[in-house]
Formats: sequence, structure tokens, C-alpha cells
Amino acid sequence: MSNNATQLLVSATIEFLRRHPPFDRMEPEALQFLAEHLKLAYYPKEAQVLTPEMGVARTFYILQRGKVLARQAGEISVVEYSSMTLGPGEGFPIGSVTAQRPSTNAYVALEDVFCYELQADDFFKLMQKSTVFNLFCTQYIASLLNQSRQQLQVQFAQRAAEQQTMNSPLASIVKKAPISVSPDTPIRKVVEVMAAGHIGSMIVVDEAEQPVGIFTQSDVLKRIVLPGIALDAPIQSVMSPAPHTLPISSNAYDAALAMAMHGIRHVLAVDEGGRLKGVVSERDLFTLQRVGLRQIRQTIDTAANLDQLLQASQDVRQLSLNMLAQGVGAEQITQFISALNDTLTRRIIQINLENHDLYGIEWAWLSFGSEGRDEQTFSTDQDNGIVYVCTDIMDREQTQLRLLEFARDVNHDLDKCGFPLCQGKIMASNPELCLTIEEWEEKFGHWIRTPEPQALLNATIFFDFRPLFGQFNLANRLRLSLLRQTRTNGVFRRMMAQNALSVSPPLGKIRDFITDADPERPGTIDLKKFGARLFIDAARIFALAHNVSATNTVQRLKLSAGPMNAPADEVAAIIEGFNFIQLLRLRHQHFEQEHGREGDNSVRPDELNELERRILKEAFRQARKLQQRLKLDYQV
Amino acid sequence: MNWIAKLFNGGPKAPPIVLTPVQQEAIAAWRKTPAPDLTRSHYRSRYVVVDVEASGLNMKKDRLISIGALAVVDGVIDFSDAFEVVLRQDVVSTHENILIHGIGGSAQSEGVDPPDALIAFLQYLGKSPLVAYHALFDQSMIERALKEYLGCDLGQTWIDLAWVMPDLFRDLINAQVGLDDWLKLFDIENILRHNAVSDAYATAKLLQVALARGMQRGAETPNSFVELERARRWMRRAS
Repeated sequence: MSNNATQLLVSATIEFLRRHPPFDRMEPEALQFLAEHLKLAYYPKEAQVLTPEMGVARTFYILQRGKVLARQAGEISVVEYSSMTLGPGEGFPIGSVTAQRPSTNAYVALEDVFCYELQADDFFKLMQKSTVFNLFCTQYIASLLNQSRQQLQVQFAQRAAEQQTMNSPLASIVKKAPISVSPDTPIRKVVEVMAAGHIGSMIVVDEAEQPVGIFTQSDVLKRIVLPGIALDAPIQSVMSPAPHTLPISSNAYDAALAMAMHGIRHVLAVDEGGRLKGVVSERDLFTLQRVGLRQIRQTIDTAANLDQLLQASQDVRQLSLNMLAQGVGAEQITQFISALNDTLTRRIIQINLENHDLYGIEWAWLSFGSEGRDEQTFSTDQDNGIVYVCTDIMDREQTQLRLLEFARDVNHDLDKCGFPLCQGKIMASNPELCLTIEEWEEKFGHWIRTPEPQALLNATIFFDFRPLFGQFNLANRLRLSLLRQTRTNGVFRRMMAQNALSVSPPLGKIRDFITDADPERPGTIDLKKFGARLFIDAARIFALAHNVSATNTVQRLKLSAGPMNAPADEVAAIIEGFNFIQLLRLRHQHFEQEHGREGDNSVRPDELNELERRILKEAFRQARKLQQRLKLDYQV
Repeated sequence: MNWIAKLFNGGPKAPPIVLTPVQQEAIAAWRKTPAPDLTRSHYRSRYVVVDVEASGLNMKKDRLISIGALAVVDGVIDFSDAFEVVLRQDVVSTHENILIHGIGGSAQSEGVDPPDALIAFLQYLGKSPLVAYHALFDQSMIERALKEYLGCDLGQTWIDLAWVMPDLFRDLINAQVGLDDWLKLFDIENILRHNAVSDAYATAKLLQVALARGMQRGAETPNSFVELERARRWMRRAS
């Protein structure tokens, strides 16, 4: 009798749990077990749910209603920076219960809170019963990221498939005018035309241009050579009659379906009058499946003019989208965009070198900012410069003039190919940024010695330089001298740290996120300013301090982890956080541009799904960790 | 003098109560259950929160159809410590009534034999104090059924949250209001309105809120809630 009541309550609990990860993916038996073993407790506002003083954590909590503030106790004095808010569906303390130790956080009810409680014994049983839960606990962050990536994958795979292949009308696939013959044409003539034009199939049409048959290359052997048919017989005696036709307005999906259903390799597109308009082959449908990486590179490398390069830069964007769809991570995509943009830029430089005589000058083309870091997203403008060597016998002004003229042409061509001119004039055609190696050293040295705000800002752009074309060793020399100066100048790095810490991760104390930083875009977070940049700025300081010459943020974090004694798993979590933010930026920019807007970085947390919001929260927490490290290192 | 006869003989229609030895034994065992100490803390007590469904709202004439109950033990709701029973009805309640609680005609006529149903409830309840919202109705229906089918008195403590809540939360609602007003105030969801278990679940969560507040206000035991309710009823009557 009491079973009925318990069943009702347990199923209500299951229904609640199913709305939240990781319970939404949990095995039904495990979920049932969990719901049967939960009890419900209530904590009024401001009550302590769990504190380190309560000793070994023997209960796992899952919030049903209300919010709980988790605050790191002790250790670090800046308590304010190590707190986070948990909401319905979130469980705690995973680490402490698993390890059977006192919680490191104090959990306090921010509002009136109802929460489920699971005894540690049952918690361990659940970990045994459920692989999903086990994974969730042991790979807390990693598993969340995976889920999100999979979701993203599904979402994009659908879009990509719809857009590119299956929804394209046949009219857009049929490029060439069809070649056809009349039914009484001698076989010899037909085969000659096919051989001369490299045509795989010949369509036979009547006087009204309506297709009556099809003859393909493979028919030659089976129907002519082997049976020994005379070559002056009419084609209609050997053709396959009544070929499969589709209205030209149907789409690729219909064609693929017809081929699959009838086991044929060609479908004829006809107009309203049944007249032949084109031939769609199986191969046409496959090539629709996309421009490949190799193909784009080839196009770029052999491009003779800007039109071809412009087409290639559009292909780069399309291919990046496909990679996004295939679930490729943000790190690879941004590197890939950078790599292809490098190739594109190099080709533009090469084309322009044909019109400019730079003979006798040692020089290198540098890229700065996101391109310098190999972290370009879809929206990107130019950030470049030139370093050169001016020997005693050369006239400095003349040399610079030659380089500037050349740079101006390159900048304009880049602009035409989809890399808008830089508003801030960070371009090689700017005389301030077309400098000898000594001038660059002096410029850098000046910023380092007098770290006023503008100098610090410049450092964040120019210190991420990378050579793209020309004498790479010039850039390497510049890198070495830069590191020599920054490594020994703690005051400068401290100022950099202070600058980096002026922006905090937008984690709210009550709400999940702070979304009102920009009064013009309420409800949004600028994921560049309040997200990616937090990681980028910290990584740069670590690199400058520990003699790491890499400019890429992930590389910088990985390479400075050793000298900083940072545990590998912590670094991995930070990198995951950074990559997730980059992924959100890529996706957002793509959607914005698809709707004809400029791709900005203002993401609305409300529009993310619950999982993504939680990962984003985790990513921001990782940023906070990085900032704490900066605080400790530089005492700011 | 028919009414005098009724008064003294319990009415002409009341059938004699015949219980099996097993049933009698069960009732005797329940009687012997020791009563809990109502001066212990809320967080060391077991409360049983009940909600009943009946064939109508008339406490004297309508019949008890089902009892839903849930225990709050040491301040925590334990879903395995829950109870529900439908009493077998010889006459199915009206269509309008069924629409309210959703216990259909066949469910009513296939219910548990009333004496067994009530004994099961007593066994579940033990001597724990009972809690309900607008408890008078639940109390009357349960006690009348016990009398009618088992010939026994409950004689147990009842706590009515309809009186306790406005006293503990004078700053929020200082009046007698419906259950839904409190549920809304504390954002407590009722999963299945007018289902006895679901209503009891919502009421149990409200009790949890009251217990926590009671601890802050010095009303830390079941007895103190009883006192609080009595004082408030008296105040209301006096004013």
C-alpha cells in the first residue's frame, strides 16, 4: 500500500532529475536507484548546508529549488574571488564525497533551499551502478565539455547537410549544357563525340528535345564490342530506353534518392515541357560534399589573380564551418583559419612582389594580435607590420619607402580578399610599423621601461608577433631580445598583470553571470573582452616571464606550466575552458554573419542551453584561477 | 423519544463492529506503541503529514475515500516512509467529486476493506504527531472512520499548519489563508493537485519551512507548535 505513495514521489523525483545533466543521460535503473535513495531537506536563507568544519563529507546534495553559494574557505585571503553560485539540478560536493574528506568549500543557502540528500554509501553504490554518473564525477569538467561538443556537432551537422548538399536545386548542380544526339545517329559518331569531349554519358533526345534514352561509357564494352554490333547501327538500338528524369526544380536529395532506388548513376533534369536541361551524375553529388583542405590550398597556391583568392577566402570560411560541424575543436579550427589565411596572405605578397623590386633588402612580414597567436576567428581584420635590416651602405629612408609602397598594395589586396583594413592603422603600410630590427627593439624597450597605459595596450598586440613571409630569422632575433628584456623586468610584468586583472570573469554572486557590462547590449557577455582575453593576457605574462617564445595561448600555457610547477590536469582544465569560450565565439560569429550582421562577440547566456551555461561558468572559473595565480605571483 | 434512543444506542442504523482476531491484535499492538516525547527537538522527531480525500466536504455525512501520508523524520522527507490507501466504497461518490480527486468508480469499489485500510494506517502512523493544513477536516474524517469501522479513538496530537504558519511568518501573511497561498510564497510545487499523496508532499515541504523557522523563533519542539496554535486560536477568538 505504501508502495503506491513512494512510487508517485520517486517518479516525481525522477522527472525532476531528468531535466538536468548528468541525470538526463543516466541509465534508467541507476536513476531509479538514485531517486529511491534520496531524501529531501530544507534550508532557510543564509543557513549553512555544508562547511569544512562539519568534517568528512558524508552526504551528496542535489539542489531542487533555490540557490546555494559555494565559497572557498581559508587558504586564499581573497575570498571574494573564489565563490560561485549553484542552482537547481546541480550537485555538490563531488570531490569531497568521492575522496571522503571535509569539503574545501562552505555552502550557504542564498535563498530558501530544498535539496535532495544522498548518503555517501549510496553515492558510491550509484557510482558503481552508473557509468554515466561515474564518468561525471571522475571527469567532471571533461565530460561536460564532451557532451556539449556532441550537441554542437549534431546541431551543425544538420545545418551543414541541409545547406550544402541535399537542399541544393538541380539547377545549381547542373553546370554544363547537356550534350545530346538524335536516335538515328550512328554509334560510331556517338562514341567519337564521347571520346573527344571526355563525356561519360550521352543522352538521346527526340525532335522535341525530350530524352528517350541514355548511352554510357560502360555500355560500349557490354553492348557493342562484346556482341559485335556494327558501328554504323543507330544509337537507339543499343541505348537504355526511358531514362530516369526529374524536374529541374527538384533538389539534390531527390536525385540521390532516385539513384539509390533505381540503382542508376545518372538522372536527367528536364524542364516543364519535358525537355532535357542537364545530366546529374553520382559524382556530381559527391563533389557537392565539399571543398577539401587540399583543394583550397591548391587554389590559393596557384591563384594568379585576386578573384581566385577571394573565392578561396570564402571557401576557407565554408570549410571552417564544416569543421565546426564535424566536431573539430576550437583550437584546431582557429589554427586552421590562421594557417589558410597565412597561405592566402603569402600568395598576395608573392603576387605583389612581381610588381615591386625589393631586391637586396632583408625583410620579414609580421602578423600581430590574434593572427600572430594563430587564433583567428571568422571576424578578423588586418594586423601586420614589417621588420627589415638596414645596413650602413643603404639609405634608410629610401629602403623604407620601397617597403611601404609594397606594403600599401598588399594591404589593399588583403582588404579586397576579405581582411578589412585595420581601423587602428596596425598595418605594414604605416611608417610606424615598417621598421628596422633596431627600431623595433627600441620601440619594445621603450614600452617596457615606461609602462604607461598605451604602452601596455601596445604590448598586448605587438608582443604576439609572428613572421609570415621573408626572413624568419629577423623575427626570431626580435623575439629573443624581447624575452631578454621582459624576463628581467619584473616591474613591467607586474604592470601587465595589473592591467590583465582590471577585467574579471563575469561570474555573478547571485545570478550565474554578469550580463550588464555593456549598457548598449544588456543581457549579453562580450566573450572576447570578458572571456578569451582573460586567458590570452595571463598566458602572455607567463610566457614573457618564463622565456617561452610561442605566441599561441594554448602553447604558452602548456610550455610555461613546467617552469611554473602547475599540475598537468589543472593546465588541461584551463585550456579546455579557453577552448570552450573560443568555440562559443566561433559559433556565435557564424550565426551572426549568416544573418547578415557583423560578427561580434556579444553572447546571450540566456540563449545557451543549460549544459553550455554550466560549462561557460566552469570556463570562467578557470579564468579566475589563472587570475589568482597572477595575483599571487605579482602581489597585486 | 427516538432521538434519545439514537443518542444512547449510537443510532439504529449503525451496524455492530465485528473484527477478526488478527485485526483486534493489530489494534491492541498499536495501542501499546509508546508515545513519543513531544518535547524533543523537531530534528529528533517524526511527524506524519496527512491529507485525505472524501466524497464531499461535509465532515458529518461524507465518507472517507483515501488517505495520503508522508513522514518528516529528523527534519527530512524520506520517500520510502510514505503511505497511501483507498478505502473500498460500497457506494461510489458523485461524478463531480471524482473529477476533484481523480479516484474513479472502479478504484473506489476495488479499494481496501475499510478496517484493514485503517489498521494499515495506524501501523504506519504509530503514535507520531499528525500534521495537516486545515487539519480539522482531515482529523474529523479519519477519527470518524476509525470510530465507525474499528470502534477506536485516535487521541493523538494534531498540528494545523493553517494556524502555525501565519504565527511563524507574521511578517509575510498574518491571516488565515489557503494552502496554495503559502505554497506560492515559498515556491513549493504541487506535482498533482488533489492527489492525497501529492498534497501531503507539498504540505510536508511547508512543514519543513515551519520547522526551520520555529528553530529560529524558539519554537523548537512539537509541543511548542501545539502551544503556538492554541494561543493563536484563542487570540483570534478573543479579538
